[in-house]
Amino acid sequence: MDIANGKVDNTSIDRKQNEDKWCQVKEELNTENISTPKIIAVGGGKGGAGKSVISTITAFWMARMGNRTVLIDVDLGGANLHTLLGIKSPSKTLNDFITHKFESLEDICIDTGEKNLRLISGASDVLSLANPHFSQKVKLITHLSRLDTDYVVLDLGAGTSFNVLDFFLIAHKKIVVVTPEPTSIQNAYIFVRNAVYRKLSRLSGKNPSLQALIKIAMDPKNVLKIRTIKELFQFIEESDEKDIIEVLRKEIGDIRLQVITNMVKKEKEENAGRIVQIVAEKYLTISTSDLGSVSYDKHISKMVSDMVPLIKLDQSSKAFGNVYEIANKMKRD
Amino acid sequence: MNDWIERQDSVVNRIIEGSITIDSIEEFENLLKAFPNDPRLHRIFADRLLKEKSFNAAEQFGRSARLFLESGMPLQAIASKIFEWRILKPSREECLAFHSALLECNPRDTEVQKFFTKLTYEEMTALMAKIVPNAIPAGTMMIKFGDEENELCFIVSGLLEETGYHRLENGEKVKKESETILTEGDIFGEIYPFEEEQLSLSDIKSVTRVEVLKIFKFKLIAICREFPNLKLMIRNLYKHRTESHKERLSKTIRKATRHQLPMQVNLKIFQDETGKLPLSLGGFTDNISLVGACIVLGAKYQTGNLANLTGKNVKIQMNLPVESISLNILGNIVWSKEVTVEEKKTAIIGVQFKDMSDIDREVLKGYCCGSEAEQNLIWSLWTSLMEK
Repeated sequence: MDIANGKVDNTSIDRKQNEDKWCQVKEELNTENISTPKIIAVGGGKGGAGKSVISTITAFWMARMGNRTVLIDVDLGGANLHTLLGIKSPSKTLNDFITHKFESLEDICIDTGEKNLRLISGASDVLSLANPHFSQKVKLITHLSRLDTDYVVLDLGAGTSFNVLDFFLIAHKKIVVVTPEPTSIQNAYIFVRNAVYRKLSRLSGKNPSLQALIKIAMDPKNVLKIRTIKELFQFIEESDEKDIIEVLRKEIGDIRLQVITNMVKKEKEENAGRIVQIVAEKYLTISTSDLGSVSYDKHISKMVSDMVPLIKLDQSSKAFGNVYEIANKMKRD
Repeated sequence: MNDWIERQDSVVNRIIEGSITIDSIEEFENLLKAFPNDPRLHRIFADRLLKEKSFNAAEQFGRSARLFLESGMPLQAIASKIFEWRILKPSREECLAFHSALLECNPRDTEVQKFFTKLTYEEMTALMAKIVPNAIPAGTMMIKFGDEENELCFIVSGLLEETGYHRLENGEKVKKESETILTEGDIFGEIYPFEEEQLSLSDIKSVTRVEVLKIFKFKLIAICREFPNLKLMIRNLYKHRTESHKERLSKTIRKATRHQLPMQVNLKIFQDETGKLPLSLGGFTDNISLVGACIVLGAKYQTGNLANLTGKNVKIQMNLPVESISLNILGNIVWSKEVTVEEKKTAIIGVQFKDMSDIDREVLKGYCCGSEAEQNLIWSLWTSLMEK
């Protein structure tokens, strides 16, 4: 037995260097370059909410609408997206890219049999890549923006580790999938909450004048008893740091969360996503929007367990139609 | 009162749910050493011994009954006691001793639990002689719309879904808007008032494996004739069940939401031999509570002798997304099992936390569930937008 790769970013690499690299990556992604793909991240905390299914069908519709699309399995702790496309054993995976077997993400794209839709499969050596080093993550994110495609759909893993949150935060569209169950709602909210805290954490490292203030206030052990982002903002406002509060509001405001309620059996259940939105707006002070809901379809779980490609799902399926509407909405936004 | 449910460990939760099975009696005994006061674990062990026709089963049922009473759960204690007494016929002294323990029990807040602590000795023995324990697999239709209601069931464990209907004049049914979840401490079976013949207005189906104590209506009527006070107590049970149900369901769901968040961790497992370096492993939490966690070990774990890990002290480092904050928790590995994740063999270990400061506990709670205010808003929105 030996230690796993689970080192914290800032324990192994100089934090300042990391921040500089991180800013470069973000700038590259945010460049208004016509060739930069739009990145859509699909997350949501707990496993079983249907993130992979939503990612796959969204990518399918994006491709059918004529957009070149790459679907990427970023569930580095349990990659299995390829099975939803009926691919038993992918010939190339993210592992090959991270270990320098291939130098570009383009080289590890796999054809899915669907025009305009390619797949980058998650690492087959799953557990070893569950927590890549900072440099590996930066490399991966940098290369995302260089993919020759219109859309990149990231299927994120469960949980709220650094990496899941970082991939979520760099995306142009940040989508959370929730099902109409209390555990799912709670976990989806906690996922968003931790993403916001992660962003604040990164901001505090970038701007020295912010650092001290945010660090004190963000520490959950703080004696000021600040427990929510809203309380943090109130505290900063009261401390007369008007400039800082403007910067913070802008950065946090940029998060713009989009929510999908999945596996809806009756109308009332569509409110599940609304709950996440209301709590996030109130306590995290972020803006949110509802992308819509997707009906429960028993055929989908059967197809998943039988490894039948989801893109072969009967197109008259209500769930399929719901995701079409959602993909359309994403394109328009 | 021993509030063990609030502090229940993740490993125990998984065993109770059935997502982890314990292979051997020896393994179970080791687990009970780690969780000596968990009545449900003792009960599962007793069931296992009974299945294997072990002579120790009666003693084990008795132990779980005692622990259930200490935990304020007389209904569950009675279920265990019925099994114990089926194996070994009790003396009058033993029955009296159990009754006085029942009277001294400080029951949890449901009417059903209170009901059992108010029985006289004669009422208790009369009921226990006629009550039948029944285990039902998940997905079983217990009662269908239109069935004759002829038994009262007390839910000892598990979840059931009740779908209610309105009956139209022509006998057809129209579904009511929402389903109700029935859980432990609830009753079902519309047998009161006794004088009325009732046909069920609901379908009741088990969601998980369920255990109930049931009594036929005609037998209950006979007991009530002998003990008129019991009839009044049954009437009260039916009267109070609706109000208490909602409140308990809310608590049940809020408790459940606390255990579901995967998080990456680094582990240092200390060796027994002095001077030997601790074993360093990575992994992620599969299930976490404020007193323990189930951790799936990372890639560098290779198949080895897992028994060597059990009993070892471990330091868990949990890295929160806020970069400056990580939690260091000392614990003890109480259980381990080999599992297959993505077709690769690894291990899952159960860690019981030993040492955590109040502040760290607060941080962990905040990280897993958000602040109290955020939780309250989620729950209140759930009630108003999803239930009403």
